Amino acid sequence: MAIATLTHLTYWYPGAATPALKDVCLEIDEGLTVVAGESGGGKSTLLRVLNGLVPHFHGGRIAGRAEVLGLDVIATPTRSMARRVGFVFQDPELQTVYNVVDREVAFGLENMAVPRRELAGRVEEALGAAGIADLAGRAVRTLSGGERQRVALASALAMRPRLVVLDEPTSQLDPDGARMVLAAATSLVDEGRSVVISEHRLDDLLQKAAGLVVVERGNVTTADPRGWSGPAPSLRPARVAAAGGEAWALENISAGFDGRLVLDGVDLAGHSGEVVVLSGPNGGGKTTLLRLIAGSLAPLGGDVWRRPGRVAYLPQNPTVLLHRPTVRSEVSFTLERSGEVGRPEKILAELGLLAVADRYPRDLSSGERQRAALAAVLPGSPALVLLDEPTRGIDSSARAALIALVGRLRDRGASVVMATHDDDLRNALADRVIHVSDGKVAEMSFAVAT
Amino acid sequence: MNARAVAAWSACCLFIVLSTTNPIYKVLVLAAALCALAAGAGLRRPRRLLFAVVLIAAFAMVLNFVSAHLGATVLFALPDQIPALGGPYTLEALVFGASGGITIAAAILAAAPFSLLLDSHEVMDALPAPLSRTGVAIASSLNLVPAVATSFVEVTEAQRLRGWRPRGPRSWLEVVVPVVLTSVEGSIQLAESMEARGFGSGARTSMASQAMGRADWLLVAASGLALAGFAIAHAAGWAADWIPYPTLTLPTMNAVPIAACLLLFAPVVVWRSRR
Repeated sequence: MAIATLTHLTYWYPGAATPALKDVCLEIDEGLTVVAGESGGGKSTLLRVLNGLVPHFHGGRIAGRAEVLGLDVIATPTRSMARRVGFVFQDPELQTVYNVVDREVAFGLENMAVPRRELAGRVEEALGAAGIADLAGRAVRTLSGGERQRVALASALAMRPRLVVLDEPTSQLDPDGARMVLAAATSLVDEGRSVVISEHRLDDLLQKAAGLVVVERGNVTTADPRGWSGPAPSLRPARVAAAGGEAWALENISAGFDGRLVLDGVDLAGHSGEVVVLSGPNGGGKTTLLRLIAGSLAPLGGDVWRRPGRVAYLPQNPTVLLHRPTVRSEVSFTLERSGEVGRPEKILAELGLLAVADRYPRDLSSGERQRAALAAVLPGSPALVLLDEPTRGIDSSARAALIALVGRLRDRGASVVMATHDDDLRNALADRVIHVSDGKVAEMSFAVAT
Repeated sequence: MNARAVAAWSACCLFIVLSTTNPIYKVLVLAAALCALAAGAGLRRPRRLLFAVVLIAAFAMVLNFVSAHLGATVLFALPDQIPALGGPYTLEALVFGASGGITIAAAILAAAPFSLLLDSHEVMDALPAPLSRTGVAIASSLNLVPAVATSFVEVTEAQRLRGWRPRGPRSWLEVVVPVVLTSVEGSIQLAESMEARGFGSGARTSMASQAMGRADWLLVAASGLALAGFAIAHAAGWAADWIPYPTLTLPTMNAVPIAACLLLFAPVVVWRSRR
């Protein structure tokens, strides 16, 4: 039975000349439905139609019809849809209203004016359904990313929605956090709810999915989830130059902030023409290690040494970089400031960004923004390349482009250090893998795929 | 700890410190606020705030000393030809400046429990029902403050590595613009999340209990007595104001306003739970 029916639905964001969704005719049945497709293709827009955020929150123009759980989406405001459709967003940090888990989960119920005597019971029920009953009473700021995202899920479940929509809920999480969230989301189907989820980690989900919706450049099609063949693992770029001398070194480093020791007694070095991958749980110290190598963070003790040359650094939240009027000017800015000669179009083409080169970078989808930020930091010939979760939210084709680009920089003699949870990226590029956890580092045995 | 009880105590402190020029009562309020913070949060957690308060108070004192060339007791003088700074420097201006510094310090420390001892949602829950939606909006925006601070660090680091260097006010646009844009986007995403959970549907309920315990009532009673006592003393002329100009004199004291100020030390007895 269909829970959502979209009929010839076309949607334009405010000021956009081309529609983000084009003449969509779609039926979503009960159970688990997976939404897949390239970044920037329109997945998030489609999901937001299901609870009316598109068009009611985002504005713009809409044509056609959308009916979800018997409600006309175009005529029903999101705040009314919220009683039937729960929504979980990508970034767990940007959907928290209160500082305490119970209050956060109760937020939607308070908005619906559920009597106070019922709130505690409903919150307890929602926490149980999300598998986080033990987090009751905890301060949100003390939770890991995976726990926060499950609090967001519980917040949606508290309103007892028939449909739960999740927009790339694991894109910011480490593998353990992602597993926790996906397990909680899929268990909802066993409880009789319907779930629509957009994800890049498709393997496990597709085994349980009743439907698969593919969104590409605003066009929406359906496919058999069992017959869907995901992208092939990325190929390891052939090495054309051997690794060279030492490019950076940390000697007996301790580092931390706010009175907390994050790294303690770390000795580590990297070479030119080498790719070092940092793995480990969120909060383990990977970002601190990258900032130390970059020279952005002064160590509390020990020495940091770096070979002279330009440092290209992609921060964990790369979009904070973007402030120029176009993607092209972001690249030009870095080239000019670093005194390097080059055309922005080269790296834009490599990362598949030529089509959006003249667009305002913050108007792009999250995956496109990630690529724009990569283009902004990686043009020219940096001596040291430091990337913090470079594949966050990007699709397989963008990952392949990044792998080729990093391989080229490595062969030119750049020393590359990446913090990543992405197994495909690690397998394609890593020469060494360093596990960073609880303030310590340890080299992991790692077989290079051939 | 109930936010409404804290609000009653803070309001009373502010009333006394702002309604008198007598430095004795101001110092008593300052001491009460310091002791209350120490009782509720210890001295380690508010150390940055205390440092800032000392700086601000010192600045207020120096500013008055430098700018108010009034009073009979001249400590030294600079030539009148020096713009702004020229003229006599007096003991009266220095002492009056110190009194102003104490006023500012006491006012800041009296309001500090709201940020140091209470979560933002506890403060907003204490607002009257007609303001509850506004309160939620403010509470949620306060949640974004740490994210803005993190963005500032991230942007500054990343821009430095892209070749940016601070060269005058205009160069800071390359840091400030991304920070502001990121903050605005964060606010929009939070608003979207709130909308998706029915915010703005109409009248709200609240999970928070506004019931006050015995300690909260004790604090409210002490604050109320202090306020009434000081107001009566002020009206009756027992809490006389103090003007150091033109010649410095000692401020007068009276038992009733002093007793009112001593009641403000009540948090030392009732705040022991959030160290």
